[in-house]
Amino acid sequence: MTVLKVGILSCSGEECLGGTISRLATRKVLEEMTMVDTVTLCLPLYNAGGTEERNFASVFPTISVDGCDKLCAKRSTEKYSGRINGSIDVSKIIGNENALNTKIIRNKDLNEEHYQMVDEVAGEIVKAISNLNPDSYTGKTFRGCSCND
Amino acid sequence: MSNKVKVIPCSGIGKVYGLVAREAVLKTVLELCPEKAETVCLAYIVTGDEEVKEKMRGSVCITVDGCPKICAAKNVTLAGGVVIEEVKVLDTVKDHKGKKFGSATELSDDGYLVVDEIAAKIEKSINKIA
Repeated sequence: MTVLKVGILSCSGEECLGGTISRLATRKVLEEMTMVDTVTLCLPLYNAGGTEERNFASVFPTISVDGCDKLCAKRSTEKYSGRINGSIDVSKIIGNENALNTKIIRNKDLNEEHYQMVDEVAGEIVKAISNLNPDSYTGKTFRGCSCND
Repeated sequence: MSNKVKVIPCSGIGKVYGLVAREAVLKTVLELCPEKAETVCLAYIVTGDEEVKEKMRGSVCITVDGCPKICAAKNVTLAGGVVIEEVKVLDTVKDHKGKKFGSATELSDDGYLVVDEIAAKIEKSINKIA
């Protein structure tokens, strides 16, 4: 049976809530999605790593998840790997005011409302995965993240 | 331009140590030293945008990395930041052998103990220079 693999790249931005939501939603999909094998890569490895990291999006259909409209994950993936198959702007889902909240960023400060945002964004990631062209899943041979994940 | 010390974690998403780095930095800049320190999104630094390079150029930085790839230190240096201290999460966790720190999604109580320890070290460094 062919294993379907999809890469999800989160900005994980540290300056605002949108980054935290992007990170947690990405983790949720990685941990809970069973139909497709989802993988991720630390975004900073694009610049700090080697060819293997930069080949990430050329071997996996890849979806970026950004916390704000700077779209750093999307733009970096395009810059270093050449293409992106789907892009999610968290600020468009939870609103700019929430996404750019600079006071509540830590996991331990999140409440039920924030976890609902995580669920909503995770749902959008799953939708984006289901919208991928099935042909893009095939023939992928990525050997895994260089930090052994 | 802000003269605050820039404290930047890797926020690695694959392992618990990336989350430890992230939470330690956020504790430092939001709770321990908000007047003296701030963070900058590492993903923004990675874009190489001129605006963020301008922000980083010559600024005093402390980086916190969760794995030996030291992505935060490398990217901050590439962006023109002056890294005065490279904090490595693994240097602290090796003193806590056998403990479970949680996951890359959520830290355990022991994970938060390591966060507190690293944040205290960073605070000490900041207070020496700022």
